[in-house]
Parts: sequence; C-alpha cells; structure tokens
Amino acid sequence: MLSTLIRRELLDNLMTFRFIVVFIIMLLLVVANTSVLIRDYDRRLASYNSAVKSNHDRLLESRTYSSGSFAVVRPPNLLSIFNAGLDKRLSNEIFVSYGFVPTLYDGQKHGSTNPLLNLFSSIDIVFIFEVVLSLMSLIFAYDALAGERERGTLRLVLTHPVSRGKILFAKYISAMLCLLIPLLMSFLLVVILLMTSSIVSLKVDDFLRIGGIVLSSIAYLSAFYFIGMLISVITRRTSTALMLAMFVWAFLVLVYPNVILVTVTPAQPSQERLASAFNQIEQIWDEFERERKDFLANDPIPGEESHFGMQGGSGLFEKWYKDKSSLLFTYIAASYINKLDDEFEPQVPHVQNYYRFVIPRKIDAAERSWLVRKQALESVYFRPAIVDRIFLRLSPVGMYDAATQAWAGTDLIGLRDFYEATRKYQRTVIDYFYDKNAFEDRKWFSPDKGSVDWNSLPQFSFQRSVVDINAKRALPDLLLLLMMNLILFFIIFLVFQRSEV
Amino acid sequence: MIWHITKRELYDNLNSLRFALATLLLFVLMLINAVIHVQEHPERMQKYHDATTNSLNTLRSQTDLFSIAQEGPGNLYKKPSSLYFCEEGGDIFLPDYAYGIARVQIANLRTFWSLYYPAAFPNVFNLRPDTVKVDWGFVIGYVLSLIAILFTFDSISSERERGTLRLMLSNSVPRHTVLIGKFLGALVSISIPFTLAILMNLLVISMSRDIDLGVDVWIRLSIIFIIAILYLCLFIALGLLVSSSVQNSVASLVILLLTWCVFVVFVPSTLSSIASSFSTPMTYDEYFKRRNQNIKELTEEYVALLPETRGLPNKKIQIDSEYVIKGTEQEERLSQEQLNQQLTQIEQARSVTRISPVTLIQHLLEVFVGTGFERHQQFLENVHRYAREYREFVTDMDRADPDSLHIIGVREGMSQKQVNPESIPIFEDKLSLSRDFNAAAIDLFLLILFFVVLMSATYLRFVGIEI
Repeated sequence: MLSTLIRRELLDNLMTFRFIVVFIIMLLLVVANTSVLIRDYDRRLASYNSAVKSNHDRLLESRTYSSGSFAVVRPPNLLSIFNAGLDKRLSNEIFVSYGFVPTLYDGQKHGSTNPLLNLFSSIDIVFIFEVVLSLMSLIFAYDALAGERERGTLRLVLTHPVSRGKILFAKYISAMLCLLIPLLMSFLLVVILLMTSSIVSLKVDDFLRIGGIVLSSIAYLSAFYFIGMLISVITRRTSTALMLAMFVWAFLVLVYPNVILVTVTPAQPSQERLASAFNQIEQIWDEFERERKDFLANDPIPGEESHFGMQGGSGLFEKWYKDKSSLLFTYIAASYINKLDDEFEPQVPHVQNYYRFVIPRKIDAAERSWLVRKQALESVYFRPAIVDRIFLRLSPVGMYDAATQAWAGTDLIGLRDFYEATRKYQRTVIDYFYDKNAFEDRKWFSPDKGSVDWNSLPQFSFQRSVVDINAKRALPDLLLLLMMNLILFFIIFLVFQRSEV
Repeated sequence: MIWHITKRELYDNLNSLRFALATLLLFVLMLINAVIHVQEHPERMQKYHDATTNSLNTLRSQTDLFSIAQEGPGNLYKKPSSLYFCEEGGDIFLPDYAYGIARVQIANLRTFWSLYYPAAFPNVFNLRPDTVKVDWGFVIGYVLSLIAILFTFDSISSERERGTLRLMLSNSVPRHTVLIGKFLGALVSISIPFTLAILMNLLVISMSRDIDLGVDVWIRLSIIFIIAILYLCLFIALGLLVSSSVQNSVASLVILLLTWCVFVVFVPSTLSSIASSFSTPMTYDEYFKRRNQNIKELTEEYVALLPETRGLPNKKIQIDSEYVIKGTEQEERLSQEQLNQQLTQIEQARSVTRISPVTLIQHLLEVFVGTGFERHQQFLENVHRYAREYREFVTDMDRADPDSLHIIGVREGMSQKQVNPESIPIFEDKLSLSRDFNAAAIDLFLLILFFVVLMSATYLRFVGIEI
C-alpha cells in the first residue's frame, strides 16, 4: 500500500511543470556560478602563489637575522566554492616576528585585487540552494494536503484502510525523492566541473567534506518541506497555504537573517575592556623598556644608544608601534650595518651582549602581552561574532549555512586554525633563532662577515583540519536541523491525526 | 469602467491574507530601518565632523608657504549622506577619505604632496556574519518586488481558471480596460501599505532631534518615491504578463518566483564577477614595484646631475625644483593611473549588471541618496578640483610676493612671507542635484524601457489569448 501511495505521488510530482522548470533553472544557475567561482578560485590561488614568492624573496633579501621579514600567506580554500564563509573576507597575509605573537586581528590582505570589488556581493553554491531549494520545497509542499482536501481526493484515499501516518510518510518520501534529483544532479555537475578544471585537485577528504555538505543540504531541504507541509495541514484552502508559505519563506530567508543582527547585538565594542587591557600591556612593555635602558646605562660604553655608536652602510631601525583598537603594542627593531669599520670592532662584543640580554626579554614580554591581548580581543570582537551566529541559527537558513561552512572549513573556527598555525610558526622561528644562537651572532646586526642563510629556516605550511574535525564542528548544526525536522514531523502528524477531512 | 474594475480588485486585495502580511512585513522593516538610522546617524555625523575639524586644524597650523606647498592638505573626508537610511550603497567598502601628503624622497630632496587613495578593508576586526543592510534599497529592491509578484501572479490566471474572466469580457468592456484596471488595482493596493510604511519611517526619523531633513532632502525623497513606484510597476507588469500567458496559477507563480530569484538575487553577483574578470587593474605589488622603480630612476638622474651644480647655488635650486616637481607629478600620475584602472573595472561590471532591475533601482537610489560608487566618483572629482585649487593658491601666493624667486619646489626659491591660515582653501564635499540627474539618466531610461516593453508584451498577450 505504501509503495502504491509513493508511486502515485512520485508520478504526480515528476510530471508537473514546476518540476521541469525547477530542474532546468537550478542546473543553469549552478553551472554558471560554478564556472565563475572556479575562475575566481584560480585567480586567488595565483595571487596566493605570487604573494608567497614575493614574501620568500623579501626574506632572502634580508641579510641580517634581526631584519628578517616573515610574512606568511593563507592559501584559498577550494571548498569556498561551496560556501565562501569568511574565506575571502578575512585577512590572508600575516606578519610573523619574534617580537610579537600574531593573532587573527593582525593580518592584512595581500594587495593583488581591486578592493572596490567588494561592492559586489559574491555568491556560492550553498547560497543558490539556500534560496532556490527552500522555495521549491515550499512550492512542492503547500498543496500536499490542502490541495487534496480541496479536491476531495484525501477523503477518498482515507476510505481505504490506510493509516494517516502512512499517507504523510508517502507524501514526504515522494516529494523528497523529486527534490533530491535536482539537488544531487547539481552537486554532481559541480564536482565534474571541479574535476575537469586543470588547477583544482580534489582529495579523498574533500569528497567526504562535499558529502557532508550534501547531507546538510538534504536536511535543509526536508526542513523546508516540513514547514510547507505544516502550513498545508493547518490551512483549509490552497491559496491561503500558498500565500502563507511565500511569506514564511520571505521572512526566514530574506528578512530574518538581515534584520536579526542589527536589532539584537550591540554595535560598539566595549572601550573600557580594551582600555584596561591596553594599560596592562603598556605596563609589560614599560618594564621591558626599563630593563633595556638599565642595561644600556650599566654598560661600560656610555650612552643610551643600542648601537653603541657603530655606523656603516645602513643602520638601525627602532620603532614603538601602538594601536589602541587592536591592542597592538610592540617594539620593532632591526639592524643591518653593511660595512662594519675596523674602528668599531671593540664595540662588537658589547652589542652582542646587549642583544643576548634584550631579545629573550622581548620575546618574553611579547608572550605575556599576547596572553592579555588575546583574552581582551576575544571578549570584545570574537564573542559577539559567536553570539550573532547563535541568533542566526534560529532560522533553518542559519543552521544550514553554519553546517556547510563548518564542513568546508570556511567558518570562523576553521579560519582561526590558520592564525593558530601562524602562532605555532612564530614559536618555530624563535626556536630556530635559539638553535642558531642568532641573538648573540654577529649576523644579528651586520652581514659583513657573511649574511644569513635563510634556507635552513623551516618553511611555513598550513594544513587544514582533517575531515573528522570538520565533521565534529558541523555536527551540532546538522543535529539541530535534524531535530527541527523531527519536531516538525511530529507536529504535522498530531495535527493531521486530529484534523477533519 | 476602469475605475470599476480597479475598485473591485482593490476590495478583493484589501481583504486578503497577502495584504495583511505584506503590510506587516513592510511596516516592521521600515520601523527597524528608522530606529537604526536614528541611533547611528548622529554618531556618523559626529565622526565626520571630528575628522574634518582635525584635518582643518593641522592644515591651519602651517603658516609658511613652503611647508603648505610641501605637506599638502592632509586628509580629505567624504561627507556622509543624511539619507543614509535609504540606501547604504556598500559605503563600508568604499574609503571615506583621500589624502594628500608628501611621501617621496629623491636622494635628500623631499617632493611635494600628491594625492593618494586608500583602500577600505572594513572586515579585519569585523568578524560578524555578512548581512544585507535593511535600508529602503533592500525593502524596495527585494521585498517590494516579491510582494508585487505575490499580488499579481494569479490576477488573470485564476480568473481564467474560475471562468470569471469570460464573464467579465462578455460584457462590452474592451480588453485593455480590463488589463489597465487590474494593473491599477494591484498598483494601488501595494502602494497603500508601502506609502504608509514610508511615511511612518520618515515620521520616526524626523521626530529625532539630532536629524534635520532640509528642503533638498525632501525633494530627493520624493524622487526616490516616484522611482520606487516605477519599479513596482515593472514587477506588476511582469506578474500580469506571466499570469496571462500561463493557464494555471501555480505554474505562473513558479515561473515568476524563479524569474525573480534569477534576476533579483543571482544575476547581479554572477554577472558582476564575470564582467570584472575582463580587465585586470594594476595590483598593489605592481604599483609598489613601479613606484620604487620610478623613484630609483629619478634619484639616479638627480645624483648624476649634482656634481655639475657644485659651487653654483642658483643652478642647484633650479635642478632641485625641477626634480621636486617631476617626482611629485610622477607619484600623482601613478596613483591616479591605478585608481582609474580600478574605477574602470567597477564601471564595466556595473554596466553589465544593469540587466537586473534590482541593480537599476540600487543605482538610482545611490545617486539620489548620495552613497555608493557614483557618489564616490563625485567625491573624487571634488578632491581633484580641490587639489587644483590648492596648488593654484600656492602659485598665486608666490606670485604675489615680489621678493620671491618664483621657483616652486625649493624653500629658497619661494616666498618667505607668512601666509594667513584663514586664506588657505578648505575642502568642502558637495552634492549637486543636476549632476545626479545626469548620472541617473541611463538607469532611469532602462527602467522605463523595461517597463514599457513588459507592459506592451502584456497587452499583446492579453489581447491575443483565448478564454
């Protein structure tokens, strides 16, 4: 009996005009956007490669340890084609120095695109599904029960010894099968396009992640189908059901995500929190500066100058960098004396002594100020962003978006991995300096007896999280979506059991 | 007779569920928009005010002509629009200032100031999710067009289904009268909640003490209202066209919704990313490379000339001045070139996306509101005009002094007199309505064209159908 019901519904749905139109439009949109997105990815990859190269060249040009410049670059995420998330938005280049610990807030964008292009909104595959699939689920669902009731066929079906639950189930299964065809076809097309494009290479993990995105899409689709069915079951007439469904769609997809953020969360970061953290950081660096000055004062060579009067070729670059809004406070110093005259030779041990004393203290101060800074920035900038995302999840669109971002690794947490990796890399650089005894080396400040060989420095490489971690991050949202499905199904079931035909 | 049909449609609509829901939606959105504007606008104005006062103070702190000529005017700020609530126009992605400072050093010569155009990267700290700002542009572009579709998708097809259309046409009513009646019916029934929502929005905003809407602003608002109604007409015509071509109202709705999705949601972003790949502006890496190259070449030339001037102070002044001016011009030319390439890329992408009506309405709103790309170009023009004025001021002041050698670029060659700080020209960012009409012409023309085409197609279709 169930199979008869399903077959009947399936044929009903498949033969309709709406199915064909949805199918064609969906495929067209997906193909057009995928090719655009792949090209965009290619461009981003090319600019990533050129940024990596220019940073490496810049490093090789620096001839002393202290002037070594390490900017590391974030590679574009291939799966940002599915859900761009924050992948294009956040900074993709970050400066790593022994003198400060990098955080998410210190990055910048490497300059290879036109910044004005941000004026145009960019879309991704998940966005197409978000809009079109939800609309289609509702259009398939709104007359599932109201229509049959109007036409009287529901009464006819119920005269057979068939339970009401089975009817609901049959309707659900058949509609989902219909809706899955365009969905799966689109995913297939995207994957085919990805595989045929020369630059992109998909790994097994990527297929698993795409699988996760497909799974979330199915859950999203079914959630909207249930919403439509609920509307259908509580209204008497199809035209009312249709109007209600359309306005519910407009509210959930179009209005809610845009309205909620401006109405709920405060826009201004807490200035007091920032100010108190800044004070603490200032104290840490003041203490460092005092120690440094004391050391210089106690040195047998008079004067407070950290070069002890040495000159030749270039010189010393010293700067205090302060920024209250990002709590950045650091002492940047680099020296590169190209030709060290013989008359300065007696000063060299003093300089070496100075750096041996100062640099470890600077590293320590940077570490301590990072601890303060991290906490303050997290509470001022990071936590509100997380709260925003919780509010967004009140709509199934938000859950779906969050789940697919987590699968793709373009969510806030996924991107934070990169900044975590840069922090670890900064540690590696410091360890490398200690290994090489770089601080007390002559090459720290002068390349006159041979410049630094940077090739032995460990290269930065960023591995995205493994698929298990993506799954773990996506799971809460996926479960929320599934839970929403179940709850809606029970409500529909209860209402339908009690309703009169 | 038209009125009769319009009235019937109107009564039908006023009693319907969709009317209630549309009214609710429009009112809620407009109320949120007004409340946010009332909160945010004074802050924005205060920020602008502080910034301009600051840069004015630094400008006026100089009294000697050479440093005025060398340091330049500093930061020049874009004035925020008082109609920001109508259309935000992606303003956060546009820099709100340009600056003129001296940056280039040729050996030991410092060149004069030149204009720079910073890039706006608003999102380094902003980890909040992406959203569309709830402004009039959003309400009109997305919500109002959707409402228009939901009001018209069944206006002909359902009458045909029920057979009432045949009944109506059996009277001696010409078909075009029926069509116009239906059109006006839908137009009036959507305009009522829309107008009320707008009035409520303006009421809330004008009640705020900190916001002052002048006459100019009200003229702009009425133009915006007329454009919004025109846009609404476009979608009503589209709805009637599909509704009269398709037998069944569900099919009509599916077609309309998909058309809406494609043209309103997808076309602008897809086409803009396709169109922006046609040209590749100078990247920042290239820019810096070329800049360094330029400076290096000039420095080499200059250093090579230096030995000839030994013992000839007059000649040295001549050469110094020549290289200061050369360096300044080169720097200005390069950043101008980069800016122009960037602007051209955006311009191209914007002209392609004009296929989508939502882009048209956004462009039009941007123009009359004074935000977005068009406004940014106007701002840049103002900046360039001011830069000319500022440089002329320096030459004029120098020329007015008989003791000066009139060699611009070197301290010894220029007037040593004190300059009255009040007389330095001040940058003022202005908007002009007549220029706005020029900028809006194409978009307005296209919008009207689309409407006329759709309306005539609907007419032909409706006259031709068999019932």
